[in-house]
Amino acid sequence: MSEPSIFFEDVNERQGGFLRRTFLMGAATGLGLTALTARLGYLQLIETDRYRTLSAENQFNFRVVPPPRGRILDRNGVVLAGNRPSFRVLVVRDETKDLDGTLDVVAKLLPATADRRRQLLRDINGSPRFAPVPVATDLTWEEFSRVNLVGADLPGVMTDMNEVRYYPFGGAFAHVIGYVAKVSDKDIKEIREAGKSPDPILLNPGFRIGKQGVEKALDEQLRGSPGGQKVEVDARGKVVREDREGDRPAIPGKDVILTLDADIQNRALEVFGTESGAAVVMDVRNGDILCLVSAPSFDANAFVGGIPSRLYRDLSGYERRPLLDKALSGTYPPGSTFKTMTALAALEWGVNPAERVSCGGSWRFGGRSFACWKRGGHGSQNMHEAIKNSCDVYFYTMSLRIGPDKIAQVSRAFGLGEKFDIGVAGQKKGIVPDPAWKKRYFKRPDMQTWYPGETPSYGIGQGALAVNPLQLCVMVSRLANGTKALNPRLIKSIGGKDLPPGSLAPNLPYSKEHLDIVRGGMQAVANDRSGTAYRASQLGLGPVLMAGKTGTAQSRSYTAGENRKGAGKPWSQRDHAWFVAFAPYDDPRYALAVLVQHAPAGGARDAAPRAREIMRTTLLKDPEIRARIEQRMTTDAPPPPIDTGEEPDVMAPPVVDAPVQGRPE
Amino acid sequence: MTSSAMTRPGQRERFSEKIGEIDWRFAILLTVIAGVGVLMLYSIAGGSFTPWAGNHLIRFSFLWFLMLCLALVDLRVWYAMSYPVYAIGLLLLLAVEVVGEIRLGARRWLDLGFMSLQPSEIMKLGLVMALARYYHNISAKDAKWSWKLLVPVGMIGVPVLLVAHQPDLGTAILLALTGLVIVFAAGLSWKVIVTGVVAVGAAIPPFVLFVLHDYQRQRILTFMNPEADPSGSGYHILQSQTAIGSGGPLGKGYMLGSQSQLNFLPEKQTDFIFATVGEELGFVGCFVVLLVYGLIIASALRIASTSHSHFGRLSSAGLTATFALYVLINGAMVMGLAPVVGVPMPLLSYGGTVMMTVMIGFGLVMSVRVHRYLELPRGRGLF
Repeated sequence: MSEPSIFFEDVNERQGGFLRRTFLMGAATGLGLTALTARLGYLQLIETDRYRTLSAENQFNFRVVPPPRGRILDRNGVVLAGNRPSFRVLVVRDETKDLDGTLDVVAKLLPATADRRRQLLRDINGSPRFAPVPVATDLTWEEFSRVNLVGADLPGVMTDMNEVRYYPFGGAFAHVIGYVAKVSDKDIKEIREAGKSPDPILLNPGFRIGKQGVEKALDEQLRGSPGGQKVEVDARGKVVREDREGDRPAIPGKDVILTLDADIQNRALEVFGTESGAAVVMDVRNGDILCLVSAPSFDANAFVGGIPSRLYRDLSGYERRPLLDKALSGTYPPGSTFKTMTALAALEWGVNPAERVSCGGSWRFGGRSFACWKRGGHGSQNMHEAIKNSCDVYFYTMSLRIGPDKIAQVSRAFGLGEKFDIGVAGQKKGIVPDPAWKKRYFKRPDMQTWYPGETPSYGIGQGALAVNPLQLCVMVSRLANGTKALNPRLIKSIGGKDLPPGSLAPNLPYSKEHLDIVRGGMQAVANDRSGTAYRASQLGLGPVLMAGKTGTAQSRSYTAGENRKGAGKPWSQRDHAWFVAFAPYDDPRYALAVLVQHAPAGGARDAAPRAREIMRTTLLKDPEIRARIEQRMTTDAPPPPIDTGEEPDVMAPPVVDAPVQGRPE
Repeated sequence: MTSSAMTRPGQRERFSEKIGEIDWRFAILLTVIAGVGVLMLYSIAGGSFTPWAGNHLIRFSFLWFLMLCLALVDLRVWYAMSYPVYAIGLLLLLAVEVVGEIRLGARRWLDLGFMSLQPSEIMKLGLVMALARYYHNISAKDAKWSWKLLVPVGMIGVPVLLVAHQPDLGTAILLALTGLVIVFAAGLSWKVIVTGVVAVGAAIPPFVLFVLHDYQRQRILTFMNPEADPSGSGYHILQSQTAIGSGGPLGKGYMLGSQSQLNFLPEKQTDFIFATVGEELGFVGCFVVLLVYGLIIASALRIASTSHSHFGRLSSAGLTATFALYVLINGAMVMGLAPVVGVPMPLLSYGGTVMMTVMIGFGLVMSVRVHRYLELPRGRGLF
């Protein structure tokens, strides 16, 4: 190709200059191309990994797959909080051409969304523009298909099925288990303040967080961790392909098993009717809480989808306070149920239980008259009789003799004024007063002195003393157990891992004889024909007997000579009624405390019958107790009672052996 | 092939002789690039000849034959056409100022009824031809430094300003650079060149601050720091670099480039097609493509240097410079070395107007090759 002729031919200045400059141009172009090649080398050979990552981030999206929330079960595996499927319609703002128009079409298909239009717009505009925001949930199959049929062509409208928290028992467990609801800014702030970084799944609209009770306390364990679905998207975020192999499955939350028993819990809520109060049942052998009810209750399901504000106003405005967990967060004077503590304190400090105190219906001290609940007086009372009859004068006398410090010491040993570690928040400590407490609590020096006149009312469970129903149930459990300072346990296991039982506790520092005297008194309350709660305490379960103690606690101070009958007074001015009990008396297994707030009559009439019903349910759920009752019934069928000493042709002596059979521990 | 100037009279005028003088190797190199273009356009359409690859192939085939026909057109005809083409280009640019159609915010197109015309493309040819003709007729001394250089300054300046006013900064710069390359190749004094470079360097900051449109300034700022606004105007550069870089040494495979297939790459069929080459064919593919471009430019410059006429030399050198500038500017832009200006990769990018300009230009280059022995007398033309 080379043609030497041109180098010799027509050689003039113009051509020479041109050739030199063309050569320079060629060189410059070569340099430029070399620079481009160098840049290519840098991008494609050196920085490859960085750009591969960027490209993959472009290409693949992880669609969050929310984890199924862990279930909450009762001790027998009954589901207390589960998940149920819900058909939803969602709107993605970024994909709609015209949000208003889209919502118009949705409203035509689902008229209910028209009413919530403003709320929906706020939700949608408040979320990231590419996030699907639920506009309607819990659709019927018919509604769902209608939307699917028409909405499929509507840009920005999606339908799916997700899981929604569901509380099959509605109100019975509302306080213990709590509920889940939308994640609020406050929740995020709380997590940040606790020094943790909030899980990104929480920012997903439609995700729910535990707000109360177990749902809140164990939220992290119940939540699980979200999975990811790997999808290939184009530049507009539209899903082009799903990559099954790249999926990361969601890890479901852990199941939580509670010590509660659904049957007992449900029955307990039932027996309250419209009354306000609380009931706590514990197993005195291991501290398991079988029932933790606060009445009236509310339907936790109403909170899951966002509670209508009118319903919320009604709930929070009702004077019987359904939203308050009275079993843990309400503190009340324990009234006469506290006499068990005063009696034990007296015994510990040397009072002879046989010593008699004369009750004339009232008692004078320091220029004041203290009345006994029985106007005519009980006459001469020893300790057993005083407990049985709940004689106030006896306990006025004894408490004054031993002083407030000793009463407080015993009460604290039995769990009053204590916050137990049961895994949920919301317990109120209450007050177990003594002179040291007064000094701490009051600022004004004249208020700090303990006046001797305070001690007698302290001895009968009034005054500054305030306890919550759980504490009172722990008190009875410890009395019934007789050895252990049992701790209550509410959460049995998390994700299959058992939590330590409440029986891992130190022994009580009190002698068995003294405890037996107090328990004997309680037995008489329930089973002596003259006991304060004889009628209301008969279980009707053969040999299985209950021991208990009534209490009627003033919710305010009475003016002199005022009629103390509750009926006819406004609800909030009535006394509180208590009943604490344990059963079976001869081999204690279950303890309970029942509070009826502002009861119309009193401990024996309002609290004890409810307690009896709850206790019956509890006992009948126990197969060993059931066996004992049924054995007695079949062996007893013909007249001869067991304790006649006559031995018919029955092999085993039934009553004596029965409670021993198959004891687990 | 004839290798000597010793030919019988009239021999070179013969058609068969001219066909033999055609630089087939050059024509094939162009076909290689256009072929890669067809392949890439087929790929980014998701494996379809519509909407781009088929058109590209048809246009190129047509223009390739047109180029061969133009190669046979006598250089004297080209010479004679120089000023008229320039004049028509200038008139059309003025017409665009008055009645031009606004597309994508810029007034660049002239609607002729049956087709849309971008007068700046005609001007790319016209300017090169007119300058070559002008320099053909002045002495080397004058070309070095004299008052006669005021004419080329005007010939370059007027269309550049008109195009810049549309506004189409990319084409304006390209036109200016092409013109300056001819002025340079014609023998401008080095002293003047150095002074000029210094002066331009000093003028750039005030120009950027006071003359540029906001979007033009934005593009330059974005180029300096694309990460500052990754989803806004930095998007193009970032996505393009990502596409190229993620290709690695051997590429992701033909039709497997996620950046281009999933539309992350903007203007993937036009200005950013080279990024698709980088993504799907990798460093090796890019290198081969750049090498072919280099060979095309080298061959074209060689043709320029073999011409016996100054018009032939300057026009083919100028057209080669235009082509080389396209390649370098587009390459630098796609790889993040230059701001985003609307300059396509010639023959690879989809787009009929630019392809037409390039192929007609190469028709002239090939004609220079065919008529390289032709001595054009000064100051003569058909018109």
